[in-house]
Amino acid sequence: MSRELLEGSAAIAESAIAAGCRFFAGYPMSPFTGLLENMSQRLPAAGGVCINAESEIEGVNMTLGAAAAGFRAATGSCGQGIALMQEAIAEAALNETPFVVFNMARSQQDYFQCTRGGGWGDYRTITLAPADVPEAVEHTQLAFHLADKHRAPVIVYGDPLIAQTRVGVSIGRRDFGPVPAKDWALDGSTSGTGRSKQVWTWAMGKATEPGPGPDKHWRAIADKFDAIEPLEQRHEQEHCADAETLVVAFGSAGKFVAYVVDELRAEGHKVGWFRPVTLWPFPGPALEAAAASARRVLVFELNAGQMVDDVRLNVPDRRRVQRIGGVSISESGLTYGELMDAPIIRQRILEAVR
Amino acid sequence: MERELIVSGIGGQGIQLLAKTLALAATREGRYAMLSADYGGEMRGGPSKASVVVGDEPLRALPVLPSAWSAILAHHRFSESIVDRIRPGGPVVVNSKLVDTSVLRADLVVHPVDAGAIAVEVASAQAVGFVLLGAYNEVTHMVSNEALVAAMTELLPPYRRQHAPANARALAAGAAALAGVA
Repeated sequence: MSRELLEGSAAIAESAIAAGCRFFAGYPMSPFTGLLENMSQRLPAAGGVCINAESEIEGVNMTLGAAAAGFRAATGSCGQGIALMQEAIAEAALNETPFVVFNMARSQQDYFQCTRGGGWGDYRTITLAPADVPEAVEHTQLAFHLADKHRAPVIVYGDPLIAQTRVGVSIGRRDFGPVPAKDWALDGSTSGTGRSKQVWTWAMGKATEPGPGPDKHWRAIADKFDAIEPLEQRHEQEHCADAETLVVAFGSAGKFVAYVVDELRAEGHKVGWFRPVTLWPFPGPALEAAAASARRVLVFELNAGQMVDDVRLNVPDRRRVQRIGGVSISESGLTYGELMDAPIIRQRILEAVR
Repeated sequence: MERELIVSGIGGQGIQLLAKTLALAATREGRYAMLSADYGGEMRGGPSKASVVVGDEPLRALPVLPSAWSAILAHHRFSESIVDRIRPGGPVVVNSKLVDTSVLRADLVVHPVDAGAIAVEVASAQAVGFVLLGAYNEVTHMVSNEALVAAMTELLPPYRRQHAPANARALAAGAAALAGVA
């Protein structure tokens, strides 16, 4: 298949449409705006609907509605806008409405937002953190698949480098296997028959046909996320077997760290790298194994220390864990600061190793 | 093999368009390309930088290049941080009236081109970026000249199609300025 030179936002839009996404709603906010623009240009031609909503709250709830009707649907923003969407994301997780949320973030400060969430109730959001544009294309289609497979909202956590870098990519439909039929969808097919369907967070059902109720329903939801946790963990790693130093990083930072560690390895340093691909579920057992021989586990993330919590929970000895990242934002506040740079990462790893 | 180019200039010199043209030409030749752009809010006069990586296999390069094989310097302003990242021996095409080549590192292979004068002579002042790109491609052979012209034409919006012949002349004149150099 021939490759097109596409900006990340355009590549993700094309990939979402290839995955069957037919509804998109959002409110512009840099660096998410490019995805909304591309969706508005491309989705109608594919027979879909793209709406520039009046707010993020409206965008996510429109998406919830389209998804409840059985369509593959998505919304997005950067972390600042997704903060406004938390209630709807929690509701969708608890009433089992599958859709995709694209967090085209300004930095890595939304790890807690993605993995812990800000809504109420016992829910989790599967979060995919691509390292570059080609992986974002893959993750976009995987996200729709996982959402339908588990009837749950799924987050793709991108960043300005993924949104704005142009790369030669080919976009085709990826096949991740079958997903369950949407026999629950509120598609109007049973209206007026006395068998109308219901999507409800409390699951109390109708007077004529009572549902399981909140206690049973929410326990079933909790069990579902417990079952997803071991099933959907994804990660990449290299040079871990004899590594004295293991460097953990996600997203673009994971790509930068892998680049630097590969170089240090070639120079004879006993360093390895580990990149969680799913942030939730966090690939804890794989990290534990990768860190088995490591005297120190360095965490490079562009925030004040968020993923480091999950690293500490999973390595054999949490006293070996050390943060080498930090908050780093450009003057505009819209993209990474100077820390997202291979020479600086190299220097920080070498300082920690000495 | 991956080859990296960093382009540095100021807003209005056509930096972003020349980088996009090269990346698209490489893509149309069936190769892997990556284009990272970095420019401020100001459209004219502010810092404008871009990097292009071209390779025959999936690229390993980072979107923020730790170092680069080659460079195009269109303006002296904002170029210092770029120059530090060019690897020794790398070809550097320089807009000679606006960049003082005497301050550049001695381990670089510098190719001065009076791109402003050439652009005015064969096309217009706005074509300075294409003169530099034509000159750069002459010394690096990154892509074929035909692919460059085709990519330039493809990138023009319909209301600017009339500039395609002038831009093609700018590309050719840039190449002629460095013909036989490398």
